[in-house]
Amino acid sequence: MNNNINFDRNQAKRLLLLAILAGRIMLKNGAETYRVEDTIERMIKSRKGIKFAHAFVTPTGIFASLEYEDEVFTYLVRIKSRRIDLNKINLVNEFSREFVSTNMSIDEGFDKLKSIYSAETYSLMLNSISGGLSCGFLSFMFGGSTMDFLASLIIGFIVVLSVNKIARYKLAFFINNFLGAAIATLLSIVSYTVGIADNMNTVIIASIMPLVPGVAITNAMRDTISGDFVSGLSRGMEAIFSALSIAFGVGFILNIYLWRIR
Amino acid sequence: MFETIKQFVFSFISTIGFSIIFNIPKGLIVKSGIVGGIGWLVFYISSQFFSSSIISTFFASLTVGILGELCARYFKKPATVFIIPGIIPLVPGAGLYYTMLALLEEDFYAAATKGTETIFIAAAISAGLIISTTLSKSIRRANTK
Repeated sequence: MNNNINFDRNQAKRLLLLAILAGRIMLKNGAETYRVEDTIERMIKSRKGIKFAHAFVTPTGIFASLEYEDEVFTYLVRIKSRRIDLNKINLVNEFSREFVSTNMSIDEGFDKLKSIYSAETYSLMLNSISGGLSCGFLSFMFGGSTMDFLASLIIGFIVVLSVNKIARYKLAFFINNFLGAAIATLLSIVSYTVGIADNMNTVIIASIMPLVPGVAITNAMRDTISGDFVSGLSRGMEAIFSALSIAFGVGFILNIYLWRIR
Repeated sequence: MFETIKQFVFSFISTIGFSIIFNIPKGLIVKSGIVGGIGWLVFYISSQFFSSSIISTFFASLTVGILGELCARYFKKPATVFIIPGIIPLVPGAGLYYTMLALLEEDFYAAATKGTETIFIAAAISAGLIISTTLSKSIRRANTK
């Protein structure tokens, strides 16, 4: 397809590194594993002289190897922290399409990927405000009153803000969700007791919604369908444990509350 | 009718909120909001015909999945960008909460009922996504052959 003149051993090695960097950005930001595998293989195979290229991706690591002139290069990358940034997945997706269809040099590819890696996200304030808005309108959807809307709006804002702040300490995701759900429940109970909210249950349900594992459920299903059972299972476990941690967080505070009023 | 429009607007705004939390590219926020709004509308309307919310959730997640795949094809973006925010209002947060509440009140009968319903709602979301993704994949495969 392409006829790079100076495509030598070193270039082949760098091509593999480039493809893995692309895959790493996608996986770190919550892409499905089959999409990551596909991207890595496509990017490697688009250059001339590559006999064989394969990638094996799980949610916690990437293995990829290519064969160039009777020599096999293999790299292994471990992914430790993951978060959700669908914009970066989209950008890498566009980048890989461009890389495959044009004659982009590998150095140029590295530059582009580095700028994607540090691409801007929405600010924490905007994130928290939109979290508050979604919680507020969710409480309407679940049958809440105007006062419930106001309470969920404020609580959703605080929950998203504090979960983002807590995430900076890089605790286990279980503790993160647990604390988020506990904060949501505590504030809902307080607002109900003070008299802001009319219906405590609706406010609690609406304000734990930013924590529910929607991404894990979606990706678990999409991975399983494309035949990646290892990834599907591990994402499914992530979904189950996120749900459990939310339930524990709610239960912990609620138990104290119920014991107090008994 | 007014109530239906209200539900659409509410779910539209809350889906947009989630799409900002998940850092969706600027040009796609409104589109994913529409996908989520339509998904919730399907849930809302079908829950008036069926007594159980499991089947309504299934239809809603099927709708979100199909719309997400169509948008992905049309706008040339990953399908998850549209599906993930649209799925969030359907996730059984309420079931999770009521199960925990029943457990704490030591009402184990209610806990079992609610817990089973929660698990089945999650399964319904998964089933809807499975069907839409499989359909889209097989159509794509048939087209490329």
